[in-house]
Amino acid sequence: MTRFTVRTERFATIAGYVAGFVLLFLIWHLAAVYLVKSVLFPPPIPVFDRAVVLIEDNILQEQIVASMRRILQGFLLGSVIGIPIGLAIGSFRIVRWLLEPWTEFFRFIPAVAMITVAVIWFGIGEESKIFLIAYTTVFVVVISTAAGVGAVGRDKIRAAQCLGASRLQVFALVALPATVPYILTGMRLAMANAFVTIVAAELIASNDGLGKLLWDARLFMQVEDIFVALVALGLLGFLTDRVFRLLIRAFAGRFNATV
Amino acid sequence: MALVTLEGVGKTYRGRTGAWEAVRDFSLDLAEGEFFCLLGTSGCGKTTVLNMVAGFEQPSTGRILLDGSPVERPGADRGVVFQGHDSLYDWLTAIENIGFGLRLRGMGRRDRRAKAEHYLHMVGLDGQGAKHPSELSGGMKQRIQIARALANDPRILLMDEPFGALDAMTRAVLQGELSRIWAETRKTVLFITHDIEEAVALATRVGVMKRGPGGTLKAVIPVDLPFPRERTSDAFMAAFREVHALIHDEIHGAH
Repeated sequence: MTRFTVRTERFATIAGYVAGFVLLFLIWHLAAVYLVKSVLFPPPIPVFDRAVVLIEDNILQEQIVASMRRILQGFLLGSVIGIPIGLAIGSFRIVRWLLEPWTEFFRFIPAVAMITVAVIWFGIGEESKIFLIAYTTVFVVVISTAAGVGAVGRDKIRAAQCLGASRLQVFALVALPATVPYILTGMRLAMANAFVTIVAAELIASNDGLGKLLWDARLFMQVEDIFVALVALGLLGFLTDRVFRLLIRAFAGRFNATV
Repeated sequence: MALVTLEGVGKTYRGRTGAWEAVRDFSLDLAEGEFFCLLGTSGCGKTTVLNMVAGFEQPSTGRILLDGSPVERPGADRGVVFQGHDSLYDWLTAIENIGFGLRLRGMGRRDRRAKAEHYLHMVGLDGQGAKHPSELSGGMKQRIQIARALANDPRILLMDEPFGALDAMTRAVLQGELSRIWAETRKTVLFITHDIEEAVALATRVGVMKRGPGGTLKAVIPVDLPFPRERTSDAFMAAFREVHALIHDEIHGAH
């Protein structure tokens, strides 16, 4: 591909995103002003005005930072635990036999259900949120990492063997890099789970964060605040996912056109 | 002494549906520097033979010797070029793929690069070294595979229908290139194919296999024609007919 077409393609992508968001807010506006006509569903402009006020008072930033810090800490912790377990499950049959029941058991207990025990064990402080995010992250990462190890082509491993690779070299130089796109895809899915979990956790037990902002706004019937929090969540999730897609593409896009 | 010796090699797979005898009583000596084409219909067990020489699979009966020592596992003394190009490392550039075996041996970056460039040139891909496999055509990927195997300087090159997935014209070009490279390096080659013309164009000896199951060597024919070979020459046609007559019975009845 020439540099020119890469640039026009990138421009077209960004233009498409902008147009998509404009359309979203336009429909929102039309629906709120002409269709619903209720104080319970404010149009975008008063929501933005409210967002500006919340930003000027430094309230929105604080909630975002509080939520994102928890997400990142729990997410990194979950990934750091999940990746080696996934690699071990994918590499050794005995580890798979031992640990697969665990992952298959726990991944059906949603993190939202674990809020109860998290609060009992860790209180309503940071630890319980980080535990929940790590919990929701770890199983997705384990499963996709193990699947990635299993999907390494047989000929890739054989080629390394007949070029003289030791078992360790096959793992480090072939299986691991071939698995990275799967790991990143698992982390990307886990990040979406983390957003779900953090809001649920903050709704129920927290002193700050976007979930707390949502909950307080409901208590005091500040409908605009609710929508500010919702839009903030959507935008944060969108941006985080973009970062992941860029990472995946930077590493794997050359051979994995589906991501 | 032969470089590679197969003595009464057999391979039987046992599965839930019973036993499947892929190869039976296969014996062959490969001499240093020869280009041996193993020709057979699909399912005759020719790839199984190559996999056993490579050490990917173990014979059920008989034994395989390389320089007099039994083959037990894959090793750097036997370079393999695979039929598909899935064996290339997508996350590495062409030049890094070629230098992969050298990297495994701990060769320094600069030496590795120089040697890889040499083989990149040998397979006719000058200037393509920085590309990733996904940016290369099927024919180019097979050239990279050949360069990667040669850069490791194996005792023997094992090629499993390396041009089978290419279009006819690319295949003919690559056959010519391989002949030229073989003439330059005089590397011993065991080349698996089901294409009679390919075998006659490349080989110094052609081994024809009986059809499977229980495939075995039916006959070995020396092809004593000079390189580069002229495919429309009478001598080439005569060799083609000779091999064709041998494999004719195996084609009919095989699927």
